[in-house]
Amino acid sequence: MGHLSAIDLFGYWLGIFLTFAILSFLYKDNPVYKIAEHLFIGVSIGYVVTLQYFDVIKPKLVENLAEGNLRYLIGLALALMLFVKAVSKRWSWLGRYPIGFVVGFYAGLQINGVQADLTKQMEPAMSSVVVDKVNVNADPAEALQLLPGMNPSIAKRIVEVRAEKPFASIDEIDEIPGLPQWQLDDLEEARGAFNGLDAQASVSSGDTFWFGTFAKLLMLMGLIASLVYFYFSVEHKGAIGKVSRFGVWVLMIGFGAAFGYTVQGRLALAIGRALDVLGRDKDPALAAQIDGGVVAVISIVVIVGGIVAWELLLRRRRESDTNK
Amino acid sequence: MAAEQKDWLQKLQTFDRRWIFLAMGVAIIAPLFAPLNLPVAPSAMVKSAYYTVEDLKEGDRVLLSLDMDPASTPELEPYYRAVLLQLKRKKVKIVIATTWYAAPPLVERWLSSTVEGRIIKQGDSSYHGIPDDPYVKNEDYVWLGFREGREATINGMATDIRGTFDNQAADGTPLDDIEIMNGIESLADFDLIVMVSAGYPGIKEYIQQAQGRGNLRMVGACTAVSVPEYTPYYNSGQLLGLVGGMSKAAEYEKLVGKIGTATQGTDVLNLGHVVVISAILFGNFIFFAGQRRRRTLRSGKV
Amino acid sequence: MKSTIPLVIGCFVGWFAFGELYVPHEDYRWVFEFLRDQAQILAAMAFILGGINVIQVNYPKIRRREADWQYKVVLLVGAVAMGTAGLRWHALGGEADSGSMAVSGTAAVGTGYATLAFDSADRDALVIIDGAPPVRAWHSGNPSDITKPPGDQALSVQLRPGEHVITVRKPVEGYAKHEVSILVADNEPTSAKYEILKRWVELLPAAAAVLPINVAPGQVVTVSTDLVMYWGAGSPHGRVFTWMYDHIFFPCNATMFALLAFFIASAAFRAFRARNTESALLLGAAILVMIGLVPIGRAMSPIFPEIEEWIMDTLNTTGRRAIMMGAALGAIATGLRVILGIERSHLGSD
Repeated sequence: MGHLSAIDLFGYWLGIFLTFAILSFLYKDNPVYKIAEHLFIGVSIGYVVTLQYFDVIKPKLVENLAEGNLRYLIGLALALMLFVKAVSKRWSWLGRYPIGFVVGFYAGLQINGVQADLTKQMEPAMSSVVVDKVNVNADPAEALQLLPGMNPSIAKRIVEVRAEKPFASIDEIDEIPGLPQWQLDDLEEARGAFNGLDAQASVSSGDTFWFGTFAKLLMLMGLIASLVYFYFSVEHKGAIGKVSRFGVWVLMIGFGAAFGYTVQGRLALAIGRALDVLGRDKDPALAAQIDGGVVAVISIVVIVGGIVAWELLLRRRRESDTNK
Repeated sequence: MAAEQKDWLQKLQTFDRRWIFLAMGVAIIAPLFAPLNLPVAPSAMVKSAYYTVEDLKEGDRVLLSLDMDPASTPELEPYYRAVLLQLKRKKVKIVIATTWYAAPPLVERWLSSTVEGRIIKQGDSSYHGIPDDPYVKNEDYVWLGFREGREATINGMATDIRGTFDNQAADGTPLDDIEIMNGIESLADFDLIVMVSAGYPGIKEYIQQAQGRGNLRMVGACTAVSVPEYTPYYNSGQLLGLVGGMSKAAEYEKLVGKIGTATQGTDVLNLGHVVVISAILFGNFIFFAGQRRRRTLRSGKV
Repeated sequence: MKSTIPLVIGCFVGWFAFGELYVPHEDYRWVFEFLRDQAQILAAMAFILGGINVIQVNYPKIRRREADWQYKVVLLVGAVAMGTAGLRWHALGGEADSGSMAVSGTAAVGTGYATLAFDSADRDALVIIDGAPPVRAWHSGNPSDITKPPGDQALSVQLRPGEHVITVRKPVEGYAKHEVSILVADNEPTSAKYEILKRWVELLPAAAAVLPINVAPGQVVTVSTDLVMYWGAGSPHGRVFTWMYDHIFFPCNATMFALLAFFIASAAFRAFRARNTESALLLGAAILVMIGLVPIGRAMSPIFPEIEEWIMDTLNTTGRRAIMMGAALGAIATGLRVILGIERSHLGSD
């Protein structure tokens, strides 16, 4: 990025000012916020309308008609019927044709689409509850690399080493020759009798990964219980009620986890603004030209001044109203 | 004594929420000036996403779908940069498209700075891997553009991608003239589909409309709010890897080797999460204290 | 009549879309792809209509000076400004001019290389030679330092025999970009004068963008360029359009969503009460996940990220699976109602 021209520098400053104008909503709804909000909505409308025309309508409709594909007159007719709905109350029933078309088409697509949510999701749920330990002496590298602490290069190395001499116990894993120390450290950290390497891997076949089996069983029971909860055709009392309550608990834990992720998601949005304003996500030379921190402080001062002036104006108006 | 306590609890119960706004503001700004720089360790889903991309060979063709808007850039741009670096250093051919109307100018800005330019600038001492080379338009990558239609567009890409984009790239070049697109009729002809998805339409719609047609290989990144929704797809194998949110993007950056804004941002998340947890505990404290007050008052009356 | 035909259209189109997954027949797919194109056109049209509708609603409010009418003026000004920037003015009368790039030469002394002198009408133009980092077309001593403003010295480079690709562009998006391929020949200069070559280099279509020009070693050749500013939406985006997107749309859109960070903290404070077992479970899971997601949790104990991963992989997946299956059954039921013609609510009342 090179030297910024005056227009572009002003653009960056405008962006920072608008950021704080919108943040002023946190104090209370005020004219500065309203101006920024309406400007944004206006620009969005202009943006969307022109973009949809040039990126979709032009190549799909205009160019096709220009090439002589007369069947696209159907599309033009439907589009005009939709247009009529917006401008005329008397003829607005014409808009039902394109709406019927679109709703029907998407309904058809969706019926096919949600099958992925039903069939493919049932397969893992129905698979065996008992989870076996991965056999480091026999199983392929693809199965090995998913174990805790593993990656494809370690898995490949294990396959090479075991061809010469099979592993006698899991303890030998974090002493494999030919691996960098940091990978061996990772493996050592991944050891654990409950949910770690010792629990999930073994040197022979047929051993059970107990915690994993428990988890699988819990998932199956949780799935059945949640589905029972959603079955409202039967009253939820007695045995059904208890099962349904367990289902609710599973759902609640899921929702709690979702909330945890949502918090991170929302925070990230604000952090992104902070990084942008302070110029941390830009090339340092560019950030230095923009001087985001200084502009931010100036913007805050201007906006606060504006809000204070507005509040004084309101108070004076209220006082003159009561004096009347 | 009882009257004083009443005031204290009453004051807390009418706590102005703007103090919490202020606490949150401080929590977001302060760590940017005093970072903690704690280490991040990649988790299973992120590792799986990384290794799926690493399995690609030179000359493979990848569809990169950038379904995002300005608001989601803090969470998704770091992943985009990291995965693009990975793809470029593997010399993979990339076809880029979007189904979100807010994306095209953003994508085009990125095309000239990251795809046609270099992600690893010459003289960058923080990166120790293979640097990337600039890509040439319509030879190493194609920008197909934007088409409205959501599921219909994705369904179109899964069945007839050339028709969906009217047989032309975004700049008007006929797809027949572009060598990368030779033999590509639908999404099944790609070696991998990488989705950078901010919401609807996104990963879910791609999986619903496309994944089942030929058991497509798909990885993706999503915003944190969508992660709970998409983990079942990873669990069932429909998605080969998922990078959800800023902290997972930081883990991905670590795997790729180039630190970016996700790692910076994750540092700030520490304090932000602490503020929210404190708010929850504080709110519950006030609630239970008030409950106990009411119970003692009631029992006192009896 | 007014509702039956739309229903019939919906049924026909819906069954067609449903059958698409099962019918491989070429003609069927041809019709389906046509229907899909129309659906995409209508989806885009809906946005355009939405925009028109907003103008329709707000213009009377301004005329009648209703409450807050000044803000509506701001709204309309923004919409008109962006719409104007989004129109491709040049394209309205034909294809867009992309400025000019002229390469001219005269015979000169010197062997082994050709000298390329630049004369750019745009003072801030950047020149990229054979993929190297950009240099300034007008500089004040050091053309490689593009962080300094443009100077008064014109760029002059020396090219060895071989093919070279020269690109001239502005530092920002929204302008034409010129590319020329110059072949410096290996042989001695002749005494003949080269004709002044003037080529119009179009950016679209891409095939015509690179034109080879033969130059003998020892020649001094001048490249003069004049980069035209683009208007309009659609690729490539215009200068004003990109500016308004980058500096108005982008920060406002992002900050609107950033407000949520503050609201979620205040909502957590005001609404999250552990009143019963269910909400206690929810809160407990939320707090555990929040600690497990950030590095500080891992620094406190490596068990927190493990707990977070386990909750997500096991309990969350299970709950979500149940919701997905239930929602899928509901979607199938509603979808069938629509394509069977039973559902009429989307058509409105008579």
